[in-house]
Amino acid sequence: MVVRYILILAVVAGLLPIAVPWLGFVFTLAVSKGLAALGVAMLLRGGLISIGHALYFATGAYAVAFLMRDAGIGDLLLLFAFATLITTAVGFLVGAFMVRYRTIFFAMLNLAVSMVFFTMLSKLYYITGGTDGLRVATPFLLGIQLSRGAFDLVLQNAALIVMVASALLIDRYLKSPLGEALGAIDTNEVRLEYLGVSARGVIWAAYTVSAGLAGLGGAISAVAIGHVVPELSYWTVSGQLVLIAVLGGIGGVPGAFIGAFFLELVRTFAVGVAAEVWNAIIGISLLIVIFFLPEGLYGLIQRLERRRPNPK
Amino acid sequence: MTGLKAIAAALLLILSAAIGSASAQTNKPAEIGFGVFTFTSGPAAAYGMPGRNAAELVINQINASGGIGGVPIKPIYVDEGLGTDGVIAEFRRLASDNANQVMIAALSSANCLALAPVAEQLQMPTFMWNCDTHQLFLKDSYKYVYRTNSSTVPEFVADALYLLSVDPTFKTIAIINPDYAFGRDAGLIFKETLKALKPDVEIVAELYPKLGSPSYNTEISRLVSAQPDVIFSNFWGADLENFVRQAAPRELFARSKVILTLGESALQHVGTLLPDGVIIGVIGDGYWLAPDAQRKPQTRAFVESYRQRFNEYPVFPSFKMANTLYAVKAVYEKALATNKDRWPTRDDLVAAAKNLKTDTFTGTLSLREDNDGLVDQIVGVTQKDPAYPFPVMGEMVRYPATMVTPPVGTDPIAWIESLKPSILATVPKPGSYK
Amino acid sequence: MIANYLPLIVDGLADAALIFFVAVGLTLVFSVLRILNVAHGSFYALGAYLSVVIGTFAAGHGWPVLSLGALVISPLLIAPTLGPLIERTLLRWTYGRPQALQILVTFGLFLILEDLQKLVFGVQPYSQDISMQLLGTSHIGGIVYLNYQLLLIVLAVMVGICLRLLLKKSRIGKLIVAVVADEELARTVGINAPRVFVFAFSIGVFLAALGGALASPTIGVAPGLGAEIIVLAFAVVAIGGLGQIEGAALAAILVGFTRAAAIYFAPEFQPVAPYLVMVAVLIIRPYGLFGSIGLRRI
Repeated sequence: MVVRYILILAVVAGLLPIAVPWLGFVFTLAVSKGLAALGVAMLLRGGLISIGHALYFATGAYAVAFLMRDAGIGDLLLLFAFATLITTAVGFLVGAFMVRYRTIFFAMLNLAVSMVFFTMLSKLYYITGGTDGLRVATPFLLGIQLSRGAFDLVLQNAALIVMVASALLIDRYLKSPLGEALGAIDTNEVRLEYLGVSARGVIWAAYTVSAGLAGLGGAISAVAIGHVVPELSYWTVSGQLVLIAVLGGIGGVPGAFIGAFFLELVRTFAVGVAAEVWNAIIGISLLIVIFFLPEGLYGLIQRLERRRPNPK
Repeated sequence: MTGLKAIAAALLLILSAAIGSASAQTNKPAEIGFGVFTFTSGPAAAYGMPGRNAAELVINQINASGGIGGVPIKPIYVDEGLGTDGVIAEFRRLASDNANQVMIAALSSANCLALAPVAEQLQMPTFMWNCDTHQLFLKDSYKYVYRTNSSTVPEFVADALYLLSVDPTFKTIAIINPDYAFGRDAGLIFKETLKALKPDVEIVAELYPKLGSPSYNTEISRLVSAQPDVIFSNFWGADLENFVRQAAPRELFARSKVILTLGESALQHVGTLLPDGVIIGVIGDGYWLAPDAQRKPQTRAFVESYRQRFNEYPVFPSFKMANTLYAVKAVYEKALATNKDRWPTRDDLVAAAKNLKTDTFTGTLSLREDNDGLVDQIVGVTQKDPAYPFPVMGEMVRYPATMVTPPVGTDPIAWIESLKPSILATVPKPGSYK
Repeated sequence: MIANYLPLIVDGLADAALIFFVAVGLTLVFSVLRILNVAHGSFYALGAYLSVVIGTFAAGHGWPVLSLGALVISPLLIAPTLGPLIERTLLRWTYGRPQALQILVTFGLFLILEDLQKLVFGVQPYSQDISMQLLGTSHIGGIVYLNYQLLLIVLAVMVGICLRLLLKKSRIGKLIVAVVADEELARTVGINAPRVFVFAFSIGVFLAALGGALASPTIGVAPGLGAEIIVLAFAVVAIGGLGQIEGAALAAILVGFTRAAAIYFAPEFQPVAPYLVMVAVLIIRPYGLFGSIGLRRI
C-alpha cells in the first residue's frame, strides 16, 4: 500500500517537470518539506506536537553551508550524509532535555528553542552571515562538477529517490516495536511503562529520528535554493510543517509527502494571487482539516480506496 | 489500478503542456516584461514603497511616450517580503518566461547577494536598483548583473569626510546600525575611515539591534548614558522613523552630533522632530532639492507628478529606482541602435550595458568594467526651510564618485586604510554644492 | 552609585511591565481553561493597532488627551467582543479533546489572526506616540527618563494587585478558583463552568490587548509584533510556572532585567538572554519557579 502510493507520487513528480521545467524546483522543495513534515507526523503519533521543528530543518540547511564553506566538502551525497548525521546528533542532544516534557511544555519548548536558534543565526553575523544568510555553491556529484541546469535535474531525481527510500524506512520503523510503542505513548503512557518499555526512551528515539529527517529535508532545500537564511528556523516554517503533516494525514507515511506536494503546488499558484494572506490560508486550512478531515488527505484516499470494489 | 491511471494522466498532461508551451520567437515582442523586486510589506516598506511608486510613475511615463523602441513595458512587481527563498523562486519562475527580459532587483542586500548567482546561471540581465553591499562584486564577477547605483564604501566614506569637515574636534563616537550585512559593513567602513583620518577617536558603544525591531528604548538609554560626541546610524525604513521618534524626546539629538546616513528618506515623516545640524545622507545623489536635480526640467517634472500622485515628495529610494529604469532604457536604446535588424537578445543587452555612461535624473551614472556603478555622493545637514513643513538638506557637499570610490580590483578596506588625513584639505567644503 | 544604574533599572522594569501583562493573561487562561493559547500574542498586536488608530483619530480631531484614554479603550473594546466570540466558537469545541489538538487549533487561529490584522490594518508600520509625549520627561542625575515608562511600572503593579484581589475577594474570582481546583466538582455544586471559562478567557484577552495598547506609544506597530511577543511570553510563563500569577510577575522582572542588562554589558546576547534564563531555570526546576505538575491552584 505504502509502496504503491509513494512510487506513484515519485513517478508523477519525476515526469511532470519534463513538460513544465520550473515545477522541478517546486517538487524538490516539496520533498524537502515533506521529509521534515514526516518527522513532525511521527511525533504527532505519540501525541507530541512540535511547533519548532524548523530548528532541525535549518540545522540541516546550515550544516550544508558550513560543510561546503569551512570543511571543504563538496560532494552532494557526502553533504547529505553529514548534514543528516549532524542534525541527528543535535536532535539527540536536544531530545535528552525534551523527553522530560509532554504536550504543552513540549510544544512551547520546541518553539522557544527554534526561535533561539533563529535569533542566534541572525545575530552571529561573522559566523553565519547574519540575516543575509550564506551562499551554497553548486556541489559536485561523484567528483564531477555539472552545469547548474544538469545539476538541478540530478537533484530533482535524487530528491525523489530519497523520498521513496525514507518513506520505506520510516514505514518499517513505525511498524517495528519502537514505532508501535510511539502510538501507545499517546493512548496510555503509564500502561506502557508497566509493560517494561521506557516511555522516555521511545520518545527520545522517535525525536532523534524525526530530527534527522528534518535535517535531510533542510539539506536538500539548501542545495536546491542555493542559499540559507535564518528564516528557515522561524515559527512560520514550523507552522507549515505542522499543517503539511496534519493535511497529509498522520495515519501513514505517504501522508506527509502528499500534503507537502499539495501545499507547494497551492503556494506556487497562490503567490501571484494571495501572497499577503498566505498565513491565513494555512491557518484556515489547518482548522478545516482538523474539524472536517481529521485523517488528512491520505486518510481520504485510503477511504476512497476501500469503497471501490477491488478487482483483485 | 489507480497507479496506472495516475501515470496515464501524467503523460497526458506532459503531452498537452509540451504542445502548448511551444512559443514562436517573434522579432519585436508585443510587450517587454520587467520583473521589479522591492519591499511592499513590513518595516522595509517605508523604503520600498517610494521605490515602487517611482517605478509605476516612470514606466507609465515611458509607455505613454511609446515605450522602448515602440514596445510597452509590462512591470511585474515582486514583494521582497516573501523572504529570500520566495524571492529566488519568483525570480526563477519569471525568468523561465521568455517575455520577461530584464529584472530590476533588489532592495535588500541579502536578496541581491542571493539572486546574483541565480541571475548569472539563468543568464538573465539583472540591474540592482538599490543593493549597496560592497560584497556584491567583491569576490565574484558577473556578466549579467549590474549595479546602477553606488556601493556602501563611497557612501560611508563620504559621511566620514563630511563629519570631519564640519566638526573635526570630536573625541568619542557611538554606532547603532541594524544587524545585517548593510549595518555591519557600514560600521566597519565608518570606523576604518575614521581610524585612518583621525586615529585618536574612541568608540564608546557599538549596537546592532535586529533589523525591524519595533523599539530602541533600551539602546537609546545606553547611548544617552554613554554620552558620545557623535552617533552614527544607517537605520532606514520604519526602523529609522521609530528610532527618531523614540530618541527625540530623550534629547539624543541635542546632546550628540548625529549622522543619519539614510536620513533623507524620513525627513518628510519625522523631520520636524530633528533639530538643525543633524548630518543627513542620501547614499548617492538622489535628492530632489539638490542643485543638479533642480536644474533638469525632466527631474522637476518627475518630482511634480510624483507629488501629485502620491502626496509627498520623492525620496532618494524613488530616484534610485527611477535612475535605474532610465539606465535600462538607455541600454535598450543603445542595443537597438547597434542591431537595427532585430530585437535585442540578452547578449545584445549585455554588450550595450558594458561601460555604459548615461545621464540620470540627478546626475550621471557610469558603469565600470566590473559592472559596479559610479555615482556622486551628496551629504548635508538638516535645515529649517519656510517653504516646506519639514527640514531640507543644507550646507550640502557633492563628493565626486572617483574621490570616494576605491578603484576596480582593490580591496576596499585596504584602500580606506591607505587614506591620509591630508586629503581633508582637498575635499569640497560643506555648503560648496549650490 | 545607584544613579549610574538607574537607567538600567528603569528600562528593565518598564520592559518587565509590558511582558507581565501578556504573560499573566496567558498563564491565567491556561490555569482556567487548561489551554495554551498560541494566538495570545495576536491580541497584544490587535490591542496595539487599535490603540494607535483611536489615538491618531483623537489627536487629529483635537483631543490629544483622549489618546491616553485610547490605551484603555482599546482593550475594553477588544476583550468583550473577541473573547466570547473565540471562546464560544473555536475553543469550546476543543474542550476534552487531546491537548495536541487544542494547540493545533490555537496555532491555526494565530496564523489567521496574523493575516487578518494585515488585511484590516495594512502592512505599513503605524506610529502614535502622543501619549508618551503628553507625559513628558524627567531629568534625574543628568539623564532624561520618559515619565511614560514610570507609568507602565505603576500600572503593572496595580494590575497585578487587582488581579489577586479579584480572585480572592470577588464572587467571580472565587468561582474561578473553584473551577481551577476541580472543574467536575464545581459543576456538581452548580457553578456555571462555561460562563466562568468565557469570563476568564476574556480577562486574558483584555490583559494581552492592554499590554499591546500600553506598548504602542513606545514602539512601531507593524506585522510580526504578535509572533515576537508570544515566544517571549512562552519563555516567561515557562520560567514562572504555568498557571502562577506571582510566578509570571517574578519571571517578567527576571526577563526584563536580563534583557536590559544585556544591552548594557553584552549587546550581542540580548535577543537570546531570556531563553538562556529559561533553560537555566528549567534545568533546576523543570516546571518553572512556582509550577509543579499536579498542583491545581492559581
